[in-house]
Amino acid sequence: MLKIGCSYRTLFSASNGTITHRSVNSTRHQSTALHFYQNKQLELYASKQASRLTLRQLVFFGRKMNEDRLMKSANYVRTELPVRIAHRLRDLQALPFIVVTQEGVGRVYELYWSAFEKLRRYPPITTLDENEKFCEFLGGLLNEHAPVIPNITLGLSLASPHLPPESLDSFMRRMLVSRISRRVLAEHHIALSEGFVGRGQRTDGEPHVGIIFTGLNVKRSVERCARLLRESPIWIYDEENLPDPSCWPEVHVEGHVNTSFAYIREHLEYIIFELLKNSMHATYAHHHKEKTLPAVQVTIVAGEHDVGIRISDQGGGLRTARNRVKNPADLFSFSHLRNEARLDDSRLGALRSASSQQAGFVGTVDEQVGRWQKARKQESTGLITDGAAIQQTHPRIGIGLPMSNIYTTYFGGSLDLISLDGWGTDVYLRLPKLGKNLEGIEV
Amino acid sequence: MILLRTATSARRAPQRGSFRLGQSRRCASFQRKAPQPSLQVAELLTRYESTPPRPLNLAQLLSFGHPAMSDSVLASVKYTLSELPRRLATRVRSLEALPFIVGTNPYVSKMLHAYRESFTFLATHEPITTLEGNEQFVQQLQDLVQKHANDIPTMAKGFQECSQYMSPKQISDFLDGAIRNRISVRLIAEQHIAVSQALSQPTQPGQSAYVGIVDMRCSPRSMINMCGSFVTELCEATLGASPPLVIDGFADATFAYVPVHLEYILTEILKNSFRATVEHHGRQHGSVQSIALPPVVITIVPPRLYPDSEPTKESTYLSIRIRDQGGGVAPSNTARIFSYAFTTAGRGAEANGEDDDGGPYAAQHVGGGAAISEGSPGGHIFGEIAGKGLQAGMGTIAGLGYGLPMSRLYAKYFGGSLEFFSLEGWGSDVYLKLRCLDEAGDSKI
Repeated sequence: MLKIGCSYRTLFSASNGTITHRSVNSTRHQSTALHFYQNKQLELYASKQASRLTLRQLVFFGRKMNEDRLMKSANYVRTELPVRIAHRLRDLQALPFIVVTQEGVGRVYELYWSAFEKLRRYPPITTLDENEKFCEFLGGLLNEHAPVIPNITLGLSLASPHLPPESLDSFMRRMLVSRISRRVLAEHHIALSEGFVGRGQRTDGEPHVGIIFTGLNVKRSVERCARLLRESPIWIYDEENLPDPSCWPEVHVEGHVNTSFAYIREHLEYIIFELLKNSMHATYAHHHKEKTLPAVQVTIVAGEHDVGIRISDQGGGLRTARNRVKNPADLFSFSHLRNEARLDDSRLGALRSASSQQAGFVGTVDEQVGRWQKARKQESTGLITDGAAIQQTHPRIGIGLPMSNIYTTYFGGSLDLISLDGWGTDVYLRLPKLGKNLEGIEV
Repeated sequence: MILLRTATSARRAPQRGSFRLGQSRRCASFQRKAPQPSLQVAELLTRYESTPPRPLNLAQLLSFGHPAMSDSVLASVKYTLSELPRRLATRVRSLEALPFIVGTNPYVSKMLHAYRESFTFLATHEPITTLEGNEQFVQQLQDLVQKHANDIPTMAKGFQECSQYMSPKQISDFLDGAIRNRISVRLIAEQHIAVSQALSQPTQPGQSAYVGIVDMRCSPRSMINMCGSFVTELCEATLGASPPLVIDGFADATFAYVPVHLEYILTEILKNSFRATVEHHGRQHGSVQSIALPPVVITIVPPRLYPDSEPTKESTYLSIRIRDQGGGVAPSNTARIFSYAFTTAGRGAEANGEDDDGGPYAAQHVGGGAAISEGSPGGHIFGEIAGKGLQAGMGTIAGLGYGLPMSRLYAKYFGGSLEFFSLEGWGSDVYLKLRCLDEAGDSKI
C-alpha cells in the first residue's frame, strides 16, 4: 500500500505515461505497479550524459546571434533539460522510500515527472514563431517549479533522521545545483531570444550576453545590495523582538574597487545580498544597544584566476544560540545532525508556509525585495500591522547560506566562513573570472 | 659513533657518494657501518620505551608548582626524572628508525648522538631526595636544554641533504612528531626549572601570576608589542622599511598561557606579514621608503562562554586575527606554506626552472636568506642566517620555512588551532585560537 504524507493525498498512477491524480480510495496496487513498469522512458534519458558548458561557451555562443544559432540554442535546451531532469528523477527514486513519502518530496517528484514528460515530447523547433512558443513554455515551467526549493528542503529536513548527513547533503547539493543549471540554460535562452527579437529585458544598459553580464562591476553590485537591504530592513523582524533600528550598519568597500568580470549578475547579487543580510543582521543584534553600529567591511580583490570578495563584520561571530553547529561549514548542511536548527519548529513552519505558496522560492534578490516592498505597501495602507504577519512575507527558511554555497560552487568558486567568536565573522567568496570551468553538475 | 674524520675526508673526496681509498693515507680508514650503541644504553632504551606511559595532564603538571613547596618540588623532580627519559627514548627510537643512509648524515647522526647522551644522563641519574640535589640537577637540566637549542635547524639541514632518500610526507610526519615531542620535553623540563626557582627565589613582583612557566594573566597586547618591536627592527634592518602595527578588538584581554609559545607564534606570523607587506608594496611602487605601508592589524578576542548557551564544560579560547595587506598567496600554494617543503629549498630551486609562485611567502621555502640575497644556493643557508645574525634572540629557527607549520603545532598542542586565509593580490589573514590553560586541565602533555 502506498500512502504518501499525512496531509497530502495524491497517488502516482501512470497510464499512457501521464501522471494523474486519484483519490485515496481507488485501487492502489495496480497504479504503482504501472508506474514501476513504465519507468523505461526515464531510464533511457537517465542513461544519457549531460553535456556541461562553461561560462565562456555560453557567452561566445550568444555573442553572434542569428536565426540558425537561435534554433540551435533552442534545441540544445529542449534536449538537454530532460536529460538533466531524468538524472534527478532517478536520484529521487533511489532515495529511501520513507524519505520520498515525507511531506513535500512527493510534490517535487510529481512536478519533475510532469516537466520530464512535457519536455521529452516537445517537437523540434525550426522557426522563430516556434521558438517564441517554446520560450513561453519554458517560462511556464520555471514558474510551475517555483515551489520546488522550499518543498524539497522541508521534505529532506523532515527526513533528516533517516539519512546519514553525507547522503542527505550530497543529494540536496545535486538537486539544487542541477536546478540552477536548468534555470541558467532556460533563462539564458529566453534572454537570447528576446535580445535577438529586440525585446531586451531591463538591464540598465549594461553590456551583457543573455543573462551573463560581461562587465559586471563588483563594487556596484555590493552597493546595490547594501542599498536594497537598508531600504527594506524587514530582516529585523524576527523572533528576537529587537527594537526598530534607528540606524543600520554601513557597508564600506575597499580593495581593487574597479574590478569587473563576466558573470551571471543574478547569481553574484544573490550571494552578496544573503551574506550582507547575515552580516547586517548579526551586527545589529550584537550592537543594538549602542549608539553607532560598526560598519561591515567588504574587500574586493582581482586575482589572477579569481575575483575575491571578503566580507568582514563585527556581529559577534557564528557561535550563538541560533547557530548550533560545530564548525562554520555545517551551516551549509541540511542535516539536523550537523545543524540542529534544521528541525526547529519555527524553521519547519516557515518552510511549510513557503511550500504552500505558488510563488515559492526562486533564489533571486528581486524576488525577496519584491515581497518586502509589497508588504510595506500593505503595512502603510494598514492591511498588515504586526511584525509576525510581515514576517510571513519573508519566511526565514534558513536557506540563504546553502544556496549561496551552491551558486558559488556552480562554476567552480568557493565560499568559506570563519568566525572570531565574540567579535565577528569573515566570509571569503571566490568566483572564477576566466569562465573556463565546466558547470558543477553531475554528468 | 661516527668519527669526525669521516666527515672531513668526505669533503676532500669527489662528490659521488664514494670515498676514495687513496685518502686513507691521510686519515684513519672511514667507516661505512654506523657503530652500535653501548649495550647499557640499548638496554635502558628498551626499558624506557616499553614503560607504560604516565600521561600527565596539564592540571597535574601545574599542581607541582601551585603552591611551590619543597614537597611539590620533590614530586616534580621525581616526575621529571621518570617522564623525560621516556620521551627522549621515543625520540632516539624514531631517529634510529630512519633509513640507514639518512642516519649516516652527519647532522642527523649528531642529533642521534646528542639525544642518546641526554637520554643516558637522565635515565641513569640517581633519584633526587633533597633540595640541594635538586638545585644541582636543575643546573644540569638547564645545560641540557641549552645543548638542544639548535636541534631544529640541525635537523632541517640534515633532512635537506637527505631529501632524495625520503618522501616529503615521510619527512613532515617525522618532523611533526619530533617537534611535538620537543615541545612536551621542554614543557616538562622548563616547568620543573621554574618551579624549583620559585621555591628558592622570592616571588618577583609581576611574577605572582605565574605557575611555573604558565602566566595566568598573559597579556596578548604586551606580547604583540614585544614581538612587534623585535620584528620591526629586523624588518627595517633587512628590508629597509616596516609597516605599522595596529591592535584592535579587546586589547586588554588576558588569559592563562605559556608566554614563550605565544611569543614564538606571534613572531613567526608577524615576520611573514611584515616581509610580505614590504615586498609586495616594494614591487608595486618601486621603492618602499617613501610610501606609507598599510598596517598589519591584530584583533584580540577574549575567551568567554558563548553568551546564549548554557554553561557547559566546553573549553574556552582566546582568538587572535592577524590581517595584512601583503599581497596574499595564490590558492594553489596555500597547502605548500604549511609544508616543510624540502623539494624547493636551497640548491636546485632555480635549476629546476620551477616558477615559485608562492609570492612573498615563497621565501619561506628557500630559507630566509633568499629574501635577502637572490637565489642563495642551499649550502649557504646556515651561513647566511648565522652570519648575518638575523635572528638574534630567537635562535636560528627562523627563515627556514618552518614558521607556519611549527606555529600551527604550537597552537594545536593544547587543543587550539591556526588557520590561514588569503585574498590573492591583496593580503592574508591568520586566525589563531589558543586554549586558556586554566580551563584546559584535561589537556594531555
